[in-house]
Amino acid sequence: MKYIILKLLAFYQKFLTLLSFGSCRYYPTCSQYSKQQFETNSLFKALYFTIIRILKCNQLFDGGIDYPSIECKFNNIKYKKINVKYWYVPHKNRYLIIKNWDFKK
Amino acid sequence: MNDKKNVNKQDTQKRIFMAMILSFIFFIAYDFLYMQPQQEYHDQQTQQTSTSIDGKKAAPQVASSSNSTAAPATKTTIAQDIISTIKTNKNIIQIDSLGRIAQVELLESQYIDENGKQIKLFSNDQLRPLEVRFSNRDINAQAFKVSVVASQSNIDATNGVQELVLTQKMSNNTLTKVLKIYPDGHYDVTINVSNGAEFFVTPGFRPDVIADMYADHGVLLKMNDGTLTIVEDEDLAKTVNFTGVKFASAFDRYYTTILYNFHKSLAISLMPDNNESPQIFIHAKDNIELTGYMGPKNYRDLSELNKDLTDAIEYGWFTFIAKPMFLMLQYIHDFVGNWGWTIVLITVLIKLILYPLAYKGMVSMNRLKELQPKIKELQDKYKGDPQKSGAKMMEFYKKEGVNPMGGCLPILLQIPVFFAIYRVLLNSIELKGAEWILWINDLAEMDPYYVLPILMGATMYIQQLITPNQIQDEMQKKLFQFLPVIFTFFFLWFPAGLTLYWFINNLFTVGQQYYVNTLFAKAKVQRHEEHLSHKHTKKD
Repeated sequence: MKYIILKLLAFYQKFLTLLSFGSCRYYPTCSQYSKQQFETNSLFKALYFTIIRILKCNQLFDGGIDYPSIECKFNNIKYKKINVKYWYVPHKNRYLIIKNWDFKK
Repeated sequence: MNDKKNVNKQDTQKRIFMAMILSFIFFIAYDFLYMQPQQEYHDQQTQQTSTSIDGKKAAPQVASSSNSTAAPATKTTIAQDIISTIKTNKNIIQIDSLGRIAQVELLESQYIDENGKQIKLFSNDQLRPLEVRFSNRDINAQAFKVSVVASQSNIDATNGVQELVLTQKMSNNTLTKVLKIYPDGHYDVTINVSNGAEFFVTPGFRPDVIADMYADHGVLLKMNDGTLTIVEDEDLAKTVNFTGVKFASAFDRYYTTILYNFHKSLAISLMPDNNESPQIFIHAKDNIELTGYMGPKNYRDLSELNKDLTDAIEYGWFTFIAKPMFLMLQYIHDFVGNWGWTIVLITVLIKLILYPLAYKGMVSMNRLKELQPKIKELQDKYKGDPQKSGAKMMEFYKKEGVNPMGGCLPILLQIPVFFAIYRVLLNSIELKGAEWILWINDLAEMDPYYVLPILMGATMYIQQLITPNQIQDEMQKKLFQFLPVIFTFFFLWFPAGLTLYWFINNLFTVGQQYYVNTLFAKAKVQRHEEHLSHKHTKKD
């Protein structure tokens, strides 16, 4: 399910984004935010936060910088060198998801 | 490294562009190569089959009934004689010698086909309304041989309710149908079988006036719990049984034949025909009372009979938005009296409601123009990294207290509104043949001279010209400027009503933007003058 949604998002970002180009009031943009939510959060929570985000993306709200914020626990941490895609930044008992700009596949 | 990245980027954009063009070509090719031949094939078929012999006349099998044997195939003779003709204010109903409704001709002036003739609902070789089949093979065989006797051969029900009794005397039992026909064209029917045999009655196969790919056609059942079950044509592999059915409707794009009883829920079977299209059979024993309607899925006509029946108007999976949209359009239409102007008015209303929001956005956008040099600087600094530059830009906006973007929600909201209007234009019989001005004589069809789509494209282009935008990438910018052309092509074949909506929408966006631009220019001049006079006074 998550996989399908992510594929749809990728399709949107590739082809349809021009129709709504440069309209998002936030960083990361709604589609990026949604993608990051679905990659890091549970399905329903991701869906919920995505909907909230889109509802807030209009001129009644200030917009600006709004990172995905998720709840999670880290267990069985293995210490090794990894390729960092997202930084989990602790913030008010939750973690902000911040993309690593230097991340390469 | 950087060079390579840039090349890659251009490459992707070229591919996006190609994909757009390809999908567009596919769209046209699909229409020409698939839809149109299908239409022609369909036309041919109806001509051919008009002479063919009736197919199987088997009753659906019911698991519970012990006496039902393998489906008997009874051949019947070709064209049945018309034994009774009923005229109401809205239609002419013909009854054939097997006690079925052979044809319904709609009398109201708006229901005409392309040749200017009044529309006839049913095609020749299909299952007819009020056909009765018995689960007992012998009785069933007889029922398709013995002729029915009608109490009257000509009935005029234009001034009041009239009664027609159809009697079919078979060796062991008698089948009677008592029809009460109302001036508005609907009827009550009570069907009686003297020996209590189990039988089935049908509202008939769906009307065959316009059944294409653009809208659903098949069978729709409303259940007691309020849910709808839709079985589309060529989509039923084997017989399926339902209980607790409020009404059963067989429908094409604009017309339906319905049987219902809101006091006693129905048990029905859907049986596939040779094309796996569903046929409705209502279960009955001894006797059954039903009400029937055969005609256009006109909202007012249906809601006059019963509010529940309006559910027979179905806009595909978008019904939940399309139906309120239709009701709103109908409400405005009552004041305006023309569907074209209704669409114009509703567009203006939507724009007015959203105006405060749009105004805020445009002012913000214009303020940004003054900050342009600084933005340019930022853009150059983070060229080729849209994410980083996006983040830096947001920081900058926050510092300056502006946010020029309109937001995703207003754009996403456009999509359901757009689709709702599209579905309403396709599915509502009320908008079929709805005129506007000059050359637009059917809002549900494409603009024959392509004027509206071109106007739409032009306004879209102007809108892009006068709206300040922030697209950094040159290639993307070109593609963006090309969008009006792509949109114009897409809209060429869309219903004129939809193009009208989009055109008016664009027109008002342009108007708003122009107004805000001039306001801003004035304010700037004023500030400049104040500034000058301030300097002046200082000097003095």
